[in-house]
Amino acid sequence: MAEKSKARGAIKFLFWLIVAVGLFYYAFHSYYSGQMVSWYYYKAATDGYAVHTASFKDASKEKPAMLEIGSFETVHGLQAVPVKKGDRLPVNTDGIITSEVLKKGKRAKVEDRYLKVMVPQEMKEAKGFKYKDTFKHKGIKTNPWSGAWNVGMVLVIGLSLGLLAEGFTDMLGFKVEKIEHFEGIH
Amino acid sequence: MFDFVIAGIQAPIFLLVLTGMTVGMVGGFIGVGGGYMVTPALIVFGFPGYMASGIDMTHIAGKSVVATVRHRQLGNIDWVLGLAMVGGTMFGVEQGVRLLNYTKKLGLSGIILLTASVIVMIGLFVYTQLETQKSTKKIGELEKDGRKVGRELSVSKGPRIFQSIPLYPIVRCRTARLVVSMWVIVLVGIITGVLSGFLGVGGGFVRVPALVYIVGASTHIAVGTDLLEIAVSGGYGALRHSMMGNVDMIAVLFMIVGAMFGAQFGSIATSFVRGPAIRYILSYSLILATTGAFLRLFYMLTGSKHEVLSFFAVVFTLGEMFFLCFFIFSLVIFSLRYQKGKPVPAWIPPLVVAK
Repeated sequence: MAEKSKARGAIKFLFWLIVAVGLFYYAFHSYYSGQMVSWYYYKAATDGYAVHTASFKDASKEKPAMLEIGSFETVHGLQAVPVKKGDRLPVNTDGIITSEVLKKGKRAKVEDRYLKVMVPQEMKEAKGFKYKDTFKHKGIKTNPWSGAWNVGMVLVIGLSLGLLAEGFTDMLGFKVEKIEHFEGIH
Repeated sequence: MFDFVIAGIQAPIFLLVLTGMTVGMVGGFIGVGGGYMVTPALIVFGFPGYMASGIDMTHIAGKSVVATVRHRQLGNIDWVLGLAMVGGTMFGVEQGVRLLNYTKKLGLSGIILLTASVIVMIGLFVYTQLETQKSTKKIGELEKDGRKVGRELSVSKGPRIFQSIPLYPIVRCRTARLVVSMWVIVLVGIITGVLSGFLGVGGGFVRVPALVYIVGASTHIAVGTDLLEIAVSGGYGALRHSMMGNVDMIAVLFMIVGAMFGAQFGSIATSFVRGPAIRYILSYSLILATTGAFLRLFYMLTGSKHEVLSFFAVVFTLGEMFFLCFFIFSLVIFSLRYQKGKPVPAWIPPLVVAK
């Protein structure tokens, strides 16, 4: 009887292990293939210039970064693409320098055919913690379906990991039994 | 170091897995999501504030499913109670978020949020401590008289009052052995939902005491049922965060791997202890989190000048996770020793189960 239970546990463990590994593989594949990133940096939520923020992270007021403005399909390094609210973002962009920021002219401004970035990051606070606030993720809109994909993935992975662990303990013969909640004085 | 392309930072995988594991263990044991511990930890690892909240909420949804599966096996879930509460919780969360946005418009959200956290947590800590001490004392006295004490004993009078409310429909929760007005359950869901939406946390640390002291569920069932609740409300929160672009899924996946191990240990550990032991750990988690929140509040009220306060707030919040894990681990070890008839400290027998 115990052997049968262990064998059943082993089958359960193996099945859910395969499911979990498959789901992790699919998630990592989506990440490295760029699909997850393209869902994330999906559309412009505001008017401005789509940029690749890592290319000018070391810029300063003394040494501003000069981004070439143009309508590129893929942004390589110091390039910026003008976008309007609702436009699909060019490949490799991860943030928008918004029209408001450009109007203020403190952190970035347009000079001829170039976008001059002077302050790529500022220190801000959230819930009493300080963090670096950059242009990354600013003014972008995520594909709403990616939200459903994330939640679906996380719930299915949680379920498969939970059942995998259950199968593992059954396989080892460590049978977790139901708790008697109402035995004795309570 | 792993390059998180979406979050735009580099962070060690080991730390994410470890955080997931520790919070998974605590969450699996006391039935909380652990948001108040994870968000500060992620900010310390370098994740931006918005991303820390989103990753936290999404990982909580997954982790709660892992823990729920194990609590289901332990018979700690009352599906009727959990599902009856879901609607109220969702409605409450939405109202809590709206309240938060309103205070944000007034320019007060940070201070109001932390003040509310501190008041709620201190109130719950004091009540839980007092009630649990009385229950533990009573268990000790009953056992001295040679009477067999069950897994749960609570001296709170709240459940009797709320269970006597004759408002229809009346719900029968078979696993929790409760007969209570549906409106009491819904109201508990709404109130705890408002608090969790306003404070930006999963709400377990409010809902578990509410299920025990208002609805009258045993602590084990409150923990399991609350985790089911968190899986649903966390899933909704994760959806909202994901749609707003606050989630780097790969960070979530690393945390879930750690949470799988932690949640297994935390959930199974509940089978070694009595209800008051879980309530003790819950109350300690409340006061430790409150101390962290209080330091942050003081830091903000003093115009963010004293960096040392912010530093200690982080140290407290992160230290809390390890302290609670150590406490849970110790309880399991002592329980095993007690079951084998080996000597244990005098305060252990009323808290653990003698099989």
